[in-house]
Amino acid sequence: MKNVLIALLLFLFPAAALAESRVLSILQAIDDNYKLKSDVRADVALTQQKPEQGTKVIGMDYYRRDSDDAFLMAMTAPENEKGNGYLRVGDNFWMYRKNTRTFQHVNRDESIGGTDAHGSDFETRKLTELYAPAAGADGQELISEEMLGQVPVFKSEVKAKVNDVDYPKKIFWTRRDNGLLLKQESYSLSGTLMQTAYFLKFTVIDGRYIAVKHVYIDEFEKGNKTVVDISNIVVQKLDDSIFTKATLENLSK
Amino acid sequence: MTLLLRLSLRNLLRQKRRNVLLGTAMALGVMILIVANSFSHGISDIMFNKIMRWVTGHVSVRFNEKGGIMREIFRDRERARAALEGEPDVEQVDESIGYFMRAIGNGKSDNIILVGVNTGDGIDEKTRKEVEESFRLVEGRWEDLRDPAIENPAIVSLEKARTLNVKKNDVLRVRFRNMFAQDQAARLTVVGIMKNDNIFMQPVIFVELSNTKAMLGFRPYETASLSLKVANPQKTARALADRIHDRLKPGLAFISGEAANGPRRHGVTVVGYKSDDASKQKLSEKLKLTAGTLEAALKSDGVILPQPLAEALALSPGEAFGLSFDRKFEATKADLTFKVSAVCRSDDGLGDDTVLMNDDKFYDAYYENLPANSGAAFTPGKGSAWAPLFSPEWILLDRTANTDDYKKKYMEMSKKKWKGTTVDVSTMYETASDILKLEGVLNLITLSAVMVLFFIILLGVVNTLRMTIRERTREIGTVRAIGMQQADVKRLFVLETFFLTLFASAAGTLAGFAAMAGLSRLTFHLQDNPFGMLFVNGHLHFVPTFLGVAGNNLLISAIAVVTAYFPARRAARLSPAKALRHFE
Repeated sequence: MKNVLIALLLFLFPAAALAESRVLSILQAIDDNYKLKSDVRADVALTQQKPEQGTKVIGMDYYRRDSDDAFLMAMTAPENEKGNGYLRVGDNFWMYRKNTRTFQHVNRDESIGGTDAHGSDFETRKLTELYAPAAGADGQELISEEMLGQVPVFKSEVKAKVNDVDYPKKIFWTRRDNGLLLKQESYSLSGTLMQTAYFLKFTVIDGRYIAVKHVYIDEFEKGNKTVVDISNIVVQKLDDSIFTKATLENLSK
Repeated sequence: MTLLLRLSLRNLLRQKRRNVLLGTAMALGVMILIVANSFSHGISDIMFNKIMRWVTGHVSVRFNEKGGIMREIFRDRERARAALEGEPDVEQVDESIGYFMRAIGNGKSDNIILVGVNTGDGIDEKTRKEVEESFRLVEGRWEDLRDPAIENPAIVSLEKARTLNVKKNDVLRVRFRNMFAQDQAARLTVVGIMKNDNIFMQPVIFVELSNTKAMLGFRPYETASLSLKVANPQKTARALADRIHDRLKPGLAFISGEAANGPRRHGVTVVGYKSDDASKQKLSEKLKLTAGTLEAALKSDGVILPQPLAEALALSPGEAFGLSFDRKFEATKADLTFKVSAVCRSDDGLGDDTVLMNDDKFYDAYYENLPANSGAAFTPGKGSAWAPLFSPEWILLDRTANTDDYKKKYMEMSKKKWKGTTVDVSTMYETASDILKLEGVLNLITLSAVMVLFFIILLGVVNTLRMTIRERTREIGTVRAIGMQQADVKRLFVLETFFLTLFASAAGTLAGFAAMAGLSRLTFHLQDNPFGMLFVNGHLHFVPTFLGVAGNNLLISAIAVVTAYFPARRAARLSPAKALRHFE
């Protein structure tokens, strides 16, 4: 579930704009593309694989409007989650439970539906505000040119500037030709590799690259893996009435 | 009177078998009442002094930064401790830390609760013994928790050790989100395995407090919520909590520093404005903006500069400025950057150098870099019409009377989305008043059951007395004929019942204590049973109290005497002539 956010954060990745540092330019590009110019809706499917629990597929309808930090997610699968949903408008974030037909306020450090995702994961914050280029022993930015399989990439390392980000250290592998993020490693505060993400498939919509297939590998608890598939992406102006409790209730029927 | 006493005692012995049987029934009732009463007191004792005392302390001072349930941190440890000074009833102050984590053992993973325990600093021998008795080690030593040569030594419950497939000297890996929602991983070395009858303690893993704080991201001058062990808590806890609450009243939060825009520099006082809807409404009425929009000014990152300051620094909305100020606990200055959202007039008592900042943004800067001026009086705002709109150093929650109020308070708190640190002072008698209710209900159930038993016994008493009176009618006639007054006859029978009850109560009390001693020796193995928490080290726990035992004895005696009064009065009212003629 936590990966939903990451999937959505990395929804679009066009070429990086130039900035004062090469690493910053990568972060800046991600920020620029995270902030969607128009509204969007899509179907999102998450396939979670856990050795002890088997495979679980979570499906959802997803609506997003960045002009007022609004999004709505209505769960479509699995059966026991179907009809539940989440709505955020500005600073307000609610969780809707179909069984009780109630909306509940979600705190930023509250677990979402018993998963490892928290309210704070759904906040819209810029990477450039959260992370800065990490420097090596020589004081230089940690960026290098590498090959990821057959693809020439930049490997760059960033560290958190603030203390309320989920991963204090990240390493990005971005294509050298068009800046697309292909791989990302996330490290804990103690420097342990916690998660590796691969962005496997892209599509071009409205002149922008969108990663439609991501794989997140849990490096801490081996065997856990989440695959995110995004489909039926529609970029269009969404009506104000969509980002309301009434819509979420209607979608849950 | 002495004669009456002697006669009544002699009469008791005259009908030995009948009185022994009746007395045995009474003693049985007294015994049940005392055992049951002591057991319900024992449950309360376990809940309060063996569970709640470790979970919340007798009195707790709880901190929640930015409304975060798991973010229990207060940035100025010494200031929090100062509120507890000069309190002789406070026997011990602990930092209370319990954190949910995912642990991976040998091929197995499970959720755990990591609890920080202080087994070293400032711990007296009595407390150390209490810890060791409450959480018995089946393997390892408590001292090893403090061994600096071992990486994060941990004591694991027996059940969790089985689930995670670990034993002593094995390494556990844990992952968790620390207080600031950062993913963190750590390695724990199992130095001991403990056994506890409380099923709720089975997911617990103990780690020394200093190691726990380091893992969770505390700095040396920061503290977690405090739990206090106090002397005679039932009498002192509430008053103590009230006094601590009074001492923790916050002042206004502000940062004295220097704002800079390139070469331009100016001394400023930064204050947070409250961002709840009502305060924002009042603020929007008071603010006279000269540049920028109200919408931008009231956003979560809103920063409003007074016109003279904006001019001095040559700043306009959308432009960034630096803020530097001395920090209370760090040698280096804090250097932060903010963006101007709006500029306002300052001729309304706001001050030419007062920067207003949305408390969401303000508290981030304030708590993370506690300014050197922290704790000093905020003079610019004193008496100002703006002062009620400024953010306090923390939000002191009202005291509550019972668990229901306490729950309501926290439900309210989750709705209000506080931006500052909330401070809540409570006693376990408020947070766990339901346990006191449970004890009351248990006592009531016991009393009702025993009263039913006694009703049956008292029917026997009445019947016995009626039979005695009938059998002794001629004797009553004789003693009345030789001069005994009606009142004395009545007293004689009442005294007989009283002595019977007295001896039965004494025997019942002794039997009750013997039963408790016997039952306490039985060992129950209830590791996986929720009722296990009602036992101490697998044994039933009885706490007889003087008031409880004496009260029960008095109650039984009073009921028996009242019951005996009416047949005794009937006996006294017999005519001596009729009584002497009585023949069976």
